[in-house]
Amino acid sequence: MGVMNNSLPDIGPVRAVDSAIGWGRKSSIWPMTFGIACCAIEMMAVYAATFDLDRFGAGVPRATPRQSDLIIVPGTVNAKMAVRVRRLYDQMAEPRYVIAMGACVCGGGPYVKWGYNTVKGVHKVIPVDIFVPGCPPRPEALMDGILKLREKVSREEVFARRVRTARELDARSI
Amino acid sequence: MDEAALHARLAASGVPGIGALDRSVKDPFVVVEPTSIVPALTWLRDDPACRLEMLHNLTAVERPEAIEVVYHVCSLAHHHALVLKVRCPRPEGGTHETWLPEVPSVAGVHPAANWHEREQWDLLGVRFTGHPDLRRILLPEEWIGHPLRKDYVYPTEHGGIPLELDAVPLYERDPASPPPPSGRVRKAGEPLFQPPAPFSSRPLASGGRTVEPGEAPAGGDGAGAGGGEH
Amino acid sequence: MEALELYAVDDSREVYTEELKLNLGPQHPSTHGVLRVELKMDGEIITGARADIGYLHRCAEKIGENVSYLQFTPYTDRMDYLAACNNELAWSLTVEKLLGVEAPERAQWLRVIVCELNRIASHLIAFGTYGIDMGANTPFFYAFRERELILALLERPSGQRMLYNYVRPGGVAHDIDETWLDDVLRFCDHFEKMWAEYNTLLTHNRIFIGRTANIGVLPKEVAIAFGVTGPSLRASGVRWDLRRDVPYLWPYGELEFDVPVGEGTHGTLGDCWDRYWVRMREMMESIRIIRQACRRVPSGDFMDKNLIKIYKSPIKPGPGEAYLRTENPRGELGFYIVAAGGTSPLRCRARGPSFCNLSVLETLLPGCMIADGVAIIGSLDIVLGEVDR
Repeated sequence: MGVMNNSLPDIGPVRAVDSAIGWGRKSSIWPMTFGIACCAIEMMAVYAATFDLDRFGAGVPRATPRQSDLIIVPGTVNAKMAVRVRRLYDQMAEPRYVIAMGACVCGGGPYVKWGYNTVKGVHKVIPVDIFVPGCPPRPEALMDGILKLREKVSREEVFARRVRTARELDARSI
Repeated sequence: MDEAALHARLAASGVPGIGALDRSVKDPFVVVEPTSIVPALTWLRDDPACRLEMLHNLTAVERPEAIEVVYHVCSLAHHHALVLKVRCPRPEGGTHETWLPEVPSVAGVHPAANWHEREQWDLLGVRFTGHPDLRRILLPEEWIGHPLRKDYVYPTEHGGIPLELDAVPLYERDPASPPPPSGRVRKAGEPLFQPPAPFSSRPLASGGRTVEPGEAPAGGDGAGAGGGEH
Repeated sequence: MEALELYAVDDSREVYTEELKLNLGPQHPSTHGVLRVELKMDGEIITGARADIGYLHRCAEKIGENVSYLQFTPYTDRMDYLAACNNELAWSLTVEKLLGVEAPERAQWLRVIVCELNRIASHLIAFGTYGIDMGANTPFFYAFRERELILALLERPSGQRMLYNYVRPGGVAHDIDETWLDDVLRFCDHFEKMWAEYNTLLTHNRIFIGRTANIGVLPKEVAIAFGVTGPSLRASGVRWDLRRDVPYLWPYGELEFDVPVGEGTHGTLGDCWDRYWVRMREMMESIRIIRQACRRVPSGDFMDKNLIKIYKSPIKPGPGEAYLRTENPRGELGFYIVAAGGTSPLRCRARGPSFCNLSVLETLLPGCMIADGVAIIGSLDIVLGEVDR
């Protein structure tokens, strides 16, 4: 890791090590306990017993951003809160991932037209990996978003250095 | 007691500046002079027959001719309620930047009014004289303007945070380029009220035509014909 | 002998401390949302507190001036998102007061059932998250297990798990299916057994009592002066419930239910334990109401027929104003609508109960320790969507 990142040739054994590391990384993404508004209640429902996020390894929410890998942003971000969301994101250590949960953070939601202090989508403030639309999204939808994030994480290359065509880069961008 | 009896007791109490009971609406209200709102509320709270001890709601309403501050007081002991209003007429050409009406604060009478008055100052610009701590409560401290006024201009950004739908995200901006201009500077001749920016007009990928609310969707227009316009 | 003397306690030395300013910031596992409290502390003891709100200010009142009366109903959902139907009910009743219409009888009874189910769901979250604040993680899972049952029941008529858009001016949006009332009654039976389980978890637990009894005592006069309503007011000994004293829905006048009031069982009257216990007993009273209401739902319209015709285009109440307050799980929600004849109100003000309940925090916090401060914030049961609107 570190100095060996993306420095080895893309051959079978290196790819195998990468998938093993990817499998380990995707199975222990630790989110941050961060709830802003209504979507936070559905996020809490996902942590709870009926929908149980712990079986995906993401059930150890950390209160501090310094120890978490994932920040799920549930709920409308306004000008006052956007500064704090940015600060929280900056405090996270890489590799860090962001799930934008709910219509408000995907693109403004119901507050897009007449909200004078709402940020029309948290992607204006921090880079987002997965957008989960809905108002609020069903717990199954958030779990689907986390499963897609797991796919994204597992495909990241740690050791292999692979030259990619533009088409492959496009296809990998989900 | 109903509102008429409460108003009669208040008018007979010796507090000056009590107007007549206006019964034209579902909740009859009493218009009170600004200088006598504090003695009136104090008297209503302490009088044993009225005992209007809870200030339930404090609102400011901007009408074209005046700003009204509306006080809803209710009693838990006697199950009745009363509405009082204070009117501040609008001077000639009073805009949300130039005119901030002043009303005495009732935070000393009802501590509940503390936060309510801060909110009305924040959103409507009604200055409550005598308030222990009149500063913004819901919007950031350094926000300019009072948003619930009818002639408020929506800002495009605040403190570096973009507030528009089409804004470029922070992490995609070139650090060397100057920050985008704030939307609050109004040029000479521009109208006072500026509606917020419309949705960005991007033709749909399918070639269909978006429909504005209130419009009937065009029938047999053909999907291709309506692709470019919006 | 010198070594022993070195470790002898010398009481004549003074310890100098400084005042610490601590920020209980908007991101905190125990502030029930994005609330910031600036604390001035002397060691562990809080000497001053200032609540900083506005991190969820979503311009609801400005939106209310720009959208129509029916379009604003979903925005009222999102104010107190845990008790969405109660908010919609307050808004619908205020609009009906302006228009001078009344919803049909079946709609009124359905509204009662749906709002009381929502009250139980809201109090379940208060119970579950209060346990987490105290460090007990188990009640959260139990509470959400029952909450999922309620949400499944409420999803059937409205289509949504949480923010229903179901209670509208004029009645309710959709009718219920044939088996819904039987399922609600079956849920009531199931919930009573589960309520007994919750009491074994938290209510009589010595650690929980130790952390909440005699903490955050809210005297009756202070509560009334600050406009505190709902379970927090009732825990201070004031038997005031709008459903019984000023029934805003006439079915409440025909139903039999008690109003639980704090009694100072484990400590002083009006402490955190009383507020918690009032909420727990209110859940059982809601079950009682739902049981009686389910047997009394008549057949008929679920939405006022004239209003259905009017809804083809936006409704335009004539000039006027109306104020109406309802008993929400957190207190009294009041909507003040000023109509000037157009399709949107001239001013639409929501008096949120959590806004007024939170204003008492600055008087409750000083004097207690920081861990007790968390207990007090949790016991007030605020929802920031309603505080900030």
